[in-house]
Amino acid sequence: MGSWRSRRGAAALAVVIAALVLVAGCAPRAQEPAAPGQPGPPEPKVLTIVTGTDIESLDVHVVTSSPSFSVLEHIFESLFYINPEGKIQPLLAESFTVEPEGNVYTIKLRRGISFTDGTPFDAEAVKLNFERVLNPENKAAFRNLINTVTDIRVVDSHTIQLVTEKPFGPMLTHLTHQGLAIISPAVLRQGPEAIARNPVGTGPFVFKEWRQGEYVSLVKNDNYWGDKAKLDEVVFKVVKEDGARLVEIEAGTADVAVRVPPTEATRLRASPNIVVDTTPGLRTIYVYFNVTKKPFDDVRVRQAFNYAVDKEAIVKNLLLGAARVSDAPIAPPVFGYSAQTPYRRDVEKARQLLKEAGYESGLRVVFHHPTGRYVQDARIADAIRAQLAEVGVTAELKTLEWAQYLDFIRKPLDQNEVQMALLGWGTVTMDADYGLHALFHSGQWAPSFNLGFYKNEQVDQLLAEARNVAEANRRLQLYAEAQKLIWEDAPWLFLHSEVQLTGIRKNVKGFVVHPTERLIARWADKE
Amino acid sequence: MLSYIARRLMLVVPTLIGASFLVFAAVRIIPGDPATAIAGEHATPEMIEQVRKDLGLDQPLFTQYGRFVLAAVQGDLGKSVRTKLPVADEVFRRLPRTLELAVYSLLLAAAVGIAAGVLSATRPYSVADNSSMVLALLGVSVPVFWLGLMLMLVFAVELPRLLGLSGPILPPTGAGSWRHLVMPTLTLAAYSTAIIARMTRSSMLEVVRRDYIRTARAKGLMERTVIYRHALKNALIPVVTVVGLQFGALLGGAVLTETVFSWPGVGRFLVEAIGYRDYPVVQGTVLVVATGFILVNLVVDLVYAFLDPRIRYT
Repeated sequence: MGSWRSRRGAAALAVVIAALVLVAGCAPRAQEPAAPGQPGPPEPKVLTIVTGTDIESLDVHVVTSSPSFSVLEHIFESLFYINPEGKIQPLLAESFTVEPEGNVYTIKLRRGISFTDGTPFDAEAVKLNFERVLNPENKAAFRNLINTVTDIRVVDSHTIQLVTEKPFGPMLTHLTHQGLAIISPAVLRQGPEAIARNPVGTGPFVFKEWRQGEYVSLVKNDNYWGDKAKLDEVVFKVVKEDGARLVEIEAGTADVAVRVPPTEATRLRASPNIVVDTTPGLRTIYVYFNVTKKPFDDVRVRQAFNYAVDKEAIVKNLLLGAARVSDAPIAPPVFGYSAQTPYRRDVEKARQLLKEAGYESGLRVVFHHPTGRYVQDARIADAIRAQLAEVGVTAELKTLEWAQYLDFIRKPLDQNEVQMALLGWGTVTMDADYGLHALFHSGQWAPSFNLGFYKNEQVDQLLAEARNVAEANRRLQLYAEAQKLIWEDAPWLFLHSEVQLTGIRKNVKGFVVHPTERLIARWADKE
Repeated sequence: MLSYIARRLMLVVPTLIGASFLVFAAVRIIPGDPATAIAGEHATPEMIEQVRKDLGLDQPLFTQYGRFVLAAVQGDLGKSVRTKLPVADEVFRRLPRTLELAVYSLLLAAAVGIAAGVLSATRPYSVADNSSMVLALLGVSVPVFWLGLMLMLVFAVELPRLLGLSGPILPPTGAGSWRHLVMPTLTLAAYSTAIIARMTRSSMLEVVRRDYIRTARAKGLMERTVIYRHALKNALIPVVTVVGLQFGALLGGAVLTETVFSWPGVGRFLVEAIGYRDYPVVQGTVLVVATGFILVNLVVDLVYAFLDPRIRYT
């Protein structure tokens, strides 16, 4: 019997190896380019960025993630650019004027720009792009940014007007977003397949190659309309494993490594060839409460939770300082941010508030959280659990994998089982409208993004008004009032906003890590 | 023989249907809604609904399965819901990479494992035996990602630094040249090498105690002839079975190795697709791999029936 099995095994092995050697031999090795980023004889300036995530598509209107925008923003440009300090600068546009009636926006476009396929950039091109984004059939990911636009008028070859029903405060900020970048009309007219295959924009780099799951490479646009790029090529290489990205930058096979784990930052800083860039992010991490159900329908309980948790300790010990304790529901780089007084840890006060709310003898809650989605998310949840225990709250942790989590927490009120849950929100537009209206307005209850079913009519009014005035100072004032109310209502357990840690080789100059988590190499150079 | 071939071929069809049904059901049993996962965390409910419609997820399960099978029969595994690229192209582009890694690892594991096993068995309880068995124990128990990262640190960072080189000795991640292949192959082969070494050792020790070996020695044959001509041949029989079985394990292990080294193979593709609940990719990849196994098994059975006529009549 032994011999039967082994002979069968031998035959199996022979067949497998024969078949596999044959297939493996067919691997398309000959035509493959040398691994990106390796130094070659006539040395072009190649910047290799190791990222954790591949791009989703080459169609800038349908992608949703910052890794995708990081790549595509070198190919495509928006009308305006918002710099890391939150200042808006013209890019493809020259100026932005709000007409006296308040709901008409006139945009003058820069002249003398062509797409890399030779098509001239003009008002018609912008109109065609915006119409594409606005048409629901095209499933543009950031259609919401301009869905208030009811009419797009071409005034002359380089002037366009956007018309909304009511004044729309965030308009200019929204026009800086990559999801509204301008694609060559010649490509747009060929349909979605062509757009996804052949990315043609006006940017400082031109698309070269995308090997899905491996890398995207871009080469310098020699005919760029503005200051030409100093680099000859930029390669975005996908390396999922955190440790492997660190090895890449330490070995010098990569010039930039994203998402350095806080625990490794110190070691990396000790290297003579690497700097660790810390850029404040837009992503706020918080625990939201379902305020429609007991015990969180009582503001005292929500405040007690805020007092019970030591945010400083979490930032210091779990994130090793790579975060900022929240003092508002949105992060500082966002337009409209208004600092509040943080809930400092006060166990006595927390106990007192719980007692007043009738939970003197203790309280049991279920606390949902994802794992592997945010920096140290599961450990943060556990720290919160431990700190709540000190004020007599027993929180039962329920960990879910991300895809399952997202589905679970976004159920409408009648099916929603969440009591409290950990989440993060990046206000990627850098305007408070996206960070406050979307999360706290009662018109945005789940399955939209107000997942805790918070409702405060005053807040609703303030947020609606801030959305519908064009005047910036008035908007700032309205957002400040709204944030004050939200802070007191405590529909969240406010935690921190993340800081991005990026490893950069010292010979790389001018590389920009944007608060929106985009990596910008257009001004970068390598010595 | 012909009727046997026909019988075996007919069995392939229900096996494939079974496999397709299992993979179809499995991806739907894991919790999490693909429309939500794909549309992204910032997607509005309308966008999620639209994605669900596009994916055909609003259709009854039976219809979805029917469509999947009908298309698969025609070689169409659908499109990735995330990237919109055809699944079949993407799987077949990556498959050679995974096979390349698995085959080289298997060859390495067999060569090193058998040599170490023989060495251990011929000098039992010697330093060589003890050290190779300790190494084997390590090989079985060391986690793949740890070993991978350590190799990377040594060959890409520390060793070049010690030697004063300007670049890494071996590229830490990616694929494209034989230098890229070294570290993933070593990492992937570690476990199998250990298993094969231990198997060879125990099998050899058993064989060298047999009567015919004593007879061979009594005849005055040289020790080398006794070991390699007489003992090893018989001792290898169970080892070969294990080597064959290790191939399946290597394909499984490739998932982790591919992730650590960013090796563009099927394993990594599959893992990412599961994270996004990319049903067509998960279904298509598993189906292709399963079909491969079924076909290899079929060929093995046929070859075996050819070699051993008794099989055909059972």
